[in-house]
Amino acid sequence: MTATIIDGKAFAAKVREQVAEHVARLKDENGLTPGLAVVLVGEDPASQVYVRSKGKQTVEVGMNSYEHKLPADTSEADLLALIDQLNKDQSVHGILVQLPLPGHLNSDLVINSIDPAKDVDGFHISNVGLLGTGQKSMVPCTPLGCLMMLRDHHGSLSGMNAVVVGRSNIVGKPMAQLLLGDSCTVTIAHSRTKDLAAVCRSADILVAAVGRPEMIPGDWVKPGATVIDVGINRIERDGKNKLVGDVEFASAAEVAGAITPVPGGVGPMTIACLLANTLTACCRANGLSEPKGLTA
Amino acid sequence: MRAALIDGKDIAARMRAENMAEAKELAAQGWQPRLVSISVGDTAAAELYVRNQQKTAENSGVEFEARNYPETISMEQLVGVLHGLNADPRVNGIIIQRPLPAHIPVKTLQKAVHPLKDVEGMHPASIGNIVYNDLALGPCTAVAAVEILKTLPLKLEGLDVTVIGHSEIVGKPIAFLLMGLGATVTVCHHMTRSVAMHSRAADAVFVAVGKPGLVTGDMLKPGAALIDIGINRVEGKTVGDADFDSCAEVAGWITPVPGGVGPVTVATLMKNAVLATRLQMAHYRAQYADTEV
Repeated sequence: MTATIIDGKAFAAKVREQVAEHVARLKDENGLTPGLAVVLVGEDPASQVYVRSKGKQTVEVGMNSYEHKLPADTSEADLLALIDQLNKDQSVHGILVQLPLPGHLNSDLVINSIDPAKDVDGFHISNVGLLGTGQKSMVPCTPLGCLMMLRDHHGSLSGMNAVVVGRSNIVGKPMAQLLLGDSCTVTIAHSRTKDLAAVCRSADILVAAVGRPEMIPGDWVKPGATVIDVGINRIERDGKNKLVGDVEFASAAEVAGAITPVPGGVGPMTIACLLANTLTACCRANGLSEPKGLTA
Repeated sequence: MRAALIDGKDIAARMRAENMAEAKELAAQGWQPRLVSISVGDTAAAELYVRNQQKTAENSGVEFEARNYPETISMEQLVGVLHGLNADPRVNGIIIQRPLPAHIPVKTLQKAVHPLKDVEGMHPASIGNIVYNDLALGPCTAVAAVEILKTLPLKLEGLDVTVIGHSEIVGKPIAFLLMGLGATVTVCHHMTRSVAMHSRAADAVFVAVGKPGLVTGDMLKPGAALIDIGINRVEGKTVGDADFDSCAEVAGWITPVPGGVGPVTVATLMKNAVLATRLQMAHYRAQYADTEV
């Protein structure tokens, strides 16, 4: 194995530490405490785990956490009323509605009812458009985490050939925007791409976000390239449950210059970036300068 | 020359006829499409452009009112004007002509236009919809360039496309429109190490940079489509970003400048005006005129 392993866990801890320092300073100097409201509708077990973990980390960096747990049969009107109330609440700087929502609720309508300035997930249609036009916005957490890791590893990304595999609204598309923003030449490949192997092989930076276990083998990776594996797939191997990425780790690590493992790569960065976004939202709402190194 | 010339004027004429038919149908239901163009201060630079829009509007069944405000108007006053137009049901689309005086940032005005009246497709919500593949009102030049590609006998799914230029109003939206259509898109710009390497691999090349002669024939794959969005003045002549003569030897299809993307862009503006009117009619009926009991 030749590749440097990018330790997402350690890097996320560093990001959280930076966030905590900023939060402490905001309290001392401005009497402000950033607040994150998380709304969970229903009892999806995976969502409950996420929400608990988000709440815990929010408190650990010194922010206020407001959890709103609503029953699965909550009406759209009641949910929108809660969001309206959170939009107006000055102690709440970030609002996150945990997805997926129960089927009777219109997710688009709910997400687009959040004040874009408090939309720390970056899914509001205005934030998508602001990012798409290179303006200040709230940036989706997972691609922001990938960008931070890439910047940390490379310094400048300018002029590098980046290939993003997967064109999802949550990862692939915003990731492409962010890489363009950092002056990469960007190719977005997907299931309809003719020669995916050749496209991947042209990449100095390869971001895989398709959700197909070990789809990208090592011989699709250019020697020395940086591989960011966003996929988290649960598979069974040798009778055991295992988490693997979209990249075949062992063979890719022989070729790549640097690679993120799964688990312990991109995953831990997502919540760290959620906290960073909440901090950013708090600073913007109060006309303070944004925290350095924690935004796109 | 071996490339087939793409006749933008002809495509635009077809679109105008379609827009005209649809505008008449809307007018018969009491929804005559109507645009208001806003320019500020010295209009010499935009005058030709506005007159061209006005003429196309008339040929598309769309009413067009050109308003000019004095250079001294404040940002707040102008935003107030836009709010008035947003609220006026007789106005279906608002065009903000550039250039604007320095004290009026264009992005602030674009955000003040109601998304349902954003016929230029410049509101962040309009761009967001494009990124999310929900094509309603898109930025006219980008939509026009993609419409031109659609007229060619090429399968867009899996097509390798290189977009040269990553501007917010042209390059990036083209990339997202094409990605939504299933193309594999590469976006190049001034920091790209070798544009030729990417353009030579592409079945279709879009160029929107504003540099005459940037794309030459040796940068193209034989038989590729070349859509030239640049408009530059060189020695009193209007030229695109491609070196037309050398590119026409290699490409399979090529847009001329002028007469390529330009006319289709203005026709797209009118198409947006008709679509905006239709969306507003539907919105109005859903809000106020639902007579079913």
